[in-house]
Amino acid sequence: MTSRALAWRTITAEPARAALAIAGVTVIGALLFDMLMLSQGLLVSFREMLDTTGYDVRVVATDAFPGRVDITNASEVAADIAGLPEVRDVAVVRSDRAIVVVPDRPATEVALLNLSEGAERQGWRIVEGADLGAIRRSESSPPAVISRSLARALGLRPGSALPLRVLISGAASAVPLVTFTVVGIAEFQFEGNGAEALATTFDAFQRARASMSSDTADLILVASRPPIEAAATVAAISARRHDVHAFSNEQIVERFNENGFAYFRQISFVLSTITLGFAFLLVTSLLTVSVNQRLGQVAALRALGVPRHRIAATLVWESALLVGAGGLLSLPTGWLLALELDRILRDMPNIPERLHFFVLEPRLALWHLGLIALTGVAAVLYPVWVAARLPIAATLRFETIS
Amino acid sequence: MANLGRAGRTLIPVAIGCLVTAVVFAQTTKPTSSTVRLKPDTTSIATANDDDTVPDHTVRENSVPQVLLSRHLMREAGVLVGDVVTLAADADGAGSTLFRVAGVYEPTPDPRKFSAQRLEARLHLADLIGLAEDSADPASGDIVSAINLALLDRKDADAVAAAIVRRVPGARVSSTQPSNSPNDPFAVLERFHWAIAIVTVTGSTAFLLALMIMRAEQRRDIIGILRLLGVPSRSILLEVLLEGLLIALGGAIFGIVMAVAAQGAINRFFQWRFDTTLVFVRVTAVIAWEAVAFAVPLGVAAGLAASWTLMRRSVVSLVGR
Repeated sequence: MTSRALAWRTITAEPARAALAIAGVTVIGALLFDMLMLSQGLLVSFREMLDTTGYDVRVVATDAFPGRVDITNASEVAADIAGLPEVRDVAVVRSDRAIVVVPDRPATEVALLNLSEGAERQGWRIVEGADLGAIRRSESSPPAVISRSLARALGLRPGSALPLRVLISGAASAVPLVTFTVVGIAEFQFEGNGAEALATTFDAFQRARASMSSDTADLILVASRPPIEAAATVAAISARRHDVHAFSNEQIVERFNENGFAYFRQISFVLSTITLGFAFLLVTSLLTVSVNQRLGQVAALRALGVPRHRIAATLVWESALLVGAGGLLSLPTGWLLALELDRILRDMPNIPERLHFFVLEPRLALWHLGLIALTGVAAVLYPVWVAARLPIAATLRFETIS
Repeated sequence: MANLGRAGRTLIPVAIGCLVTAVVFAQTTKPTSSTVRLKPDTTSIATANDDDTVPDHTVRENSVPQVLLSRHLMREAGVLVGDVVTLAADADGAGSTLFRVAGVYEPTPDPRKFSAQRLEARLHLADLIGLAEDSADPASGDIVSAINLALLDRKDADAVAAAIVRRVPGARVSSTQPSNSPNDPFAVLERFHWAIAIVTVTGSTAFLLALMIMRAEQRRDIIGILRLLGVPSRSILLEVLLEGLLIALGGAIFGIVMAVAAQGAINRFFQWRFDTTLVFVRVTAVIAWEAVAFAVPLGVAAGLAASWTLMRRSVVSLVGR
């Protein structure tokens, strides 16, 4: 009988015990898989979000990005950048905080947005009603495209009136209410839990802020002309304009990786380490107790001439079968668990809908299986040592008299 | 009494200990702070000296006003106490003023900013106004970023906040008390840690049950002999219960000791990584009791469940006849 067959018989002889061991490895393995996903999930998801906007360079006023400082003379800066040969497209993003005051509803804080003309399709997708462009030149009250969550929260539909007051921080101000007309409801690119959004035209945006003369912006989005790399566009913008700072998507992800997302990466590292140690100790305990239970059997096999390495191979197979089955089952279990953990974490305010904490990647699954396999190998070392150094005669005698 | 291998006897409490440790960490591995002062976002690095941290006796020893810099800013700017530095409210350096560095301070740890570089300075209020005032706007000298209020009764925080919002439309008022909102980031993190703790406990319970079944099987002969001698099943179960309780308690204590020992290392690691004095892991008595309350009954129940299967067998089958 081969070592593998002997290991299989040993496991199937105690099906309840084997099932519990596999269940334990599955659950602990699922947690490990989730922690691996958590270590990279936000970065992968954030990078995808940035890349799918169609712009590969962000221009801001300060190198302390993501700290917010307005870009002054934004239209002039944007036109200058648009003139660079490396640039295909430019969009100016302006935002402010505002309060929506709908009668009989609680005042709701929203992000008031304006994207330069033509860039709206990158910022939101209309799901009901019309886009801003449809009535951009209208003389009626200023148009607004609102997020689905804001529409739901305040019971708004296309055609509804929406009184709004901009909040100006750092200034004594009593900006009057401006009543917008909802023209459309949209799914915003960076729409998130608790972050209501409202987009409007440049004129209406300035009117709401009661500052028709200032031309400031939060950031300028730049798309490089193919096949030019984002790094080359960043260099060109930096050489051209010394009053602004340009970052490629890669640099922004790296900066968030250092600061904003570091906590989840660190906690995933700590919990992965604890989980691995935990799995190692538990599988070692299980196999050691199993070997102790079969000391007589092992001694008898040795007395019959079965060499040490075959005994060791049997234990390795036993570990491989238990840990392997649990490790494979932990992949789907981990994914299901990740969906639930992701749902819990996405309850945090201002998390964009498309940002996820757990993202499934094939290379992470391979890493996971590798770590589980390593744990299985490490866990079998002690039981193998116990079985290999077993004194045959003394053990058989003890088993007989006991 | 037990015919359990020495290693197995040692490893079961270790396993329970790991369970307790995992529960403790899952419950506490999050940034915590006993006091948090929230301020609105500001683009200026300068904040008013609202807690008298600039020593009055040193003020205006000479014509250069004095400033305290955060430890991070001192290091970042490469300045020393006594150096003269230039501060400006605008990024282009317009309207800059010279200050002498009177000292360095450690910013109050803030869980919401734990990964951010705390590049901050504390100025006397008059100096800050002089630095930030816009000569074209007389009102700019009377603008504050935030007002901290100390209430007579902390429980009135929500009512006071509502009253201020009614009187000052557009003002943002928030209590320093933990929010009851389910969307509060720390409430969400707590739910996340609870979920991880439950998963850990589920996985370890399966392992524990498997170990206990093996342990019970090892004792089959002894239980059979005891029953042949006339020892009632209830007494044997009681013995199993007490033994399980002792092992579970031992494991729980081991787990808590492990967690307490590791919390210093984890805190030091995170404090080094994020350059902060924030406490990330704190094993409190409540958390320790919660972990014990999870682990001990589970350990005892697993032992009883495993032994119960033996009790239901006939004595003859137990002794192998």
